[in-house]
Amino acid sequence: MKFFAFHLMPWDRLPDDFAEKYDTAWTWLPNEMFDPEHGGELYNNYLDQLVLADQLGFDGVCVNEHHQNAYGTMPSPNLMASILARQTKNCRIAVVGNAIPFYDPPTRCAEEFSMIDCISGGRLIAGLVVGGGPEYYSFSKNPTFAREMYREAFDLILRAWTEPGPFEHYGKHWKLKYVNPWPRPIQQPHPPIWIPGAGSRETIQFVAQRRFAYMGIPYFHMDFFQRNFDVFRDECEKCDYTTDPEQLGWLLPIYCAETDEQAWAEYEPHLWYFVKKLLKGLVVFPPGYTSARSIAGIQKGLLQFMSTCETREDIEAGGYAIVGSPDTVRQKLSERIKKLGVGNLLGLFQLGTLPHDMTCKNMKLFAEKVMPGLREELSVTLTS
Amino acid sequence: MKTENKTLNIAGKKTQLTILGEGPPLLYLHSAGGETEPIAFHHKLAEKYTVYLPAHPGFALSEGLDQIEDIHDLAWHYVDLLGELNLENVPVVSYSLGAWTAAEVKLMRPNLIGPMVMIAAAGLHVDGSPMEELFIDSFDKLRELLFFDPKGQEAVDYFPADTNDPRILMWLRAREATARVGWNPYLHDPKLAGHLHRLNSPVQVIWGRHDKLIPLAHGEYYAKHLPNAKLTVLEECGHMVPYEKTEETATIALDFLGSV
Repeated sequence: MKFFAFHLMPWDRLPDDFAEKYDTAWTWLPNEMFDPEHGGELYNNYLDQLVLADQLGFDGVCVNEHHQNAYGTMPSPNLMASILARQTKNCRIAVVGNAIPFYDPPTRCAEEFSMIDCISGGRLIAGLVVGGGPEYYSFSKNPTFAREMYREAFDLILRAWTEPGPFEHYGKHWKLKYVNPWPRPIQQPHPPIWIPGAGSRETIQFVAQRRFAYMGIPYFHMDFFQRNFDVFRDECEKCDYTTDPEQLGWLLPIYCAETDEQAWAEYEPHLWYFVKKLLKGLVVFPPGYTSARSIAGIQKGLLQFMSTCETREDIEAGGYAIVGSPDTVRQKLSERIKKLGVGNLLGLFQLGTLPHDMTCKNMKLFAEKVMPGLREELSVTLTS
Repeated sequence: MKTENKTLNIAGKKTQLTILGEGPPLLYLHSAGGETEPIAFHHKLAEKYTVYLPAHPGFALSEGLDQIEDIHDLAWHYVDLLGELNLENVPVVSYSLGAWTAAEVKLMRPNLIGPMVMIAAAGLHVDGSPMEELFIDSFDKLRELLFFDPKGQEAVDYFPADTNDPRILMWLRAREATARVGWNPYLHDPKLAGHLHRLNSPVQVIWGRHDKLIPLAHGEYYAKHLPNAKLTVLEECGHMVPYEKTEETATIALDFLGSV
């Protein structure tokens, strides 16, 4: 069982009347709301939090890529990962991931990931993603080509890492006479690959067929994760192998404080900022982004999305976030990790307005009072 | 009214074709909304013409979207289709996405297409009059965007109410097929404006005064830069011209086609 600290690097100053005045925290949200001075403070706090995760003994830290939004102000996770490659010592650095259809040419991703792998001494986990629905609006990239661009970019990156260059690539979307990236990654044949998904059958099959790792995109009801992970396991069986729990990851907000009551009292306003403001407009499926049938299915899944929650009870019943004393958090996580059969827990310890000191306290309590017990208990359960 | 449904094989693409009415041939090219089943407007046209109503690749039961990468591929599909139907110099009534397609076909093969009716046509970028965002999820907002009266019966009948509507899969397919050719550049061909002087058949441009998706300035641009065009503007009408002004639009179209 591995524990990761996941960071979105969210914007913490959306106005009080945001919910009434704006339809979305994405794409069309006026960027005048971004205050660069404050942005600098946030980025530094956020990096400090991830460095702290390394010091606290987390197995890894996660950064990710989003564009033109308040939910995750990290358009280049590779910049952050390269800083972390220097400032952390032991943990894995998971970039989850680069939205490769937007890299022109995608070999740029192969190059940058190799740099991070080299600087970190081979600690990179390479996430390769299709890019979120809203980003096909932000970049005016045609979403009806999203999947085929993704596959072409993916294969090209893998070849760039594993095949001696220079070689030619004449694909549909990129035509490259010389593919010959310097540098190459330390990890051979290439860094571990993680692929996040929101439940599209296409993504689940793709990951299972290639034996990579599938990261459940968060904020859904437990039942929705369970269905997707079960489908993933079935797809692996169809490919004649049994899923390794390390092939599955589960991301969710976690908050620990001294007691259950204190945890909820401290956390709740920040949780609702996240749910009601930052999540607004996140789940968008532009035309052709995935098959019409998958979109129709995911639309039903959206009835089980965290933004439908109105009360603490809704959050707890759906398992959308784990909040409480270390004992409560440990007990709930243990039960659910076993049920879901995942080998990677990606905790979201900061989710917007949560102040820096509270985020650090949350992570410390988790690392000191939750993680060790879970490690012991789950190393037995998951591997047996 | 005489109606015939066919499935054609157009250069390997399975294509749904409905043929409506009797009389000389007329090609109708449909909009992003996918009016691929006959609507009242088609019936009006079919009183005087044999109306050929094909569904674009990816719409209704037509396939072959994987062979379409941009508007020109779609236009070439119609070059093939007109060849298959043995039609030349055929009058065309076209609406929105279909009108843009008709213009591209006319530029590629001028002999295939005769006089044209272009209703609320996509295809241009007009500085200062941007088109609104069509690819949004909210049906309520789309109704507001497309109809002069978003609460009218046409608006209620025409749109899925929500994602549980049984028409949703066809709706998603139509959206995808539209996005394939119209996502970027957004619903236009940057080179089309420079070609308009070559499109010299008689053209009747029809526009709704209150079109929010494609503002009237686009209609004025077409009328001004096409060598042989006139513009008729309909009052109290949005983008959904054939739905909102069925009789009036059909009369304008038929009068025009009868006069050229």
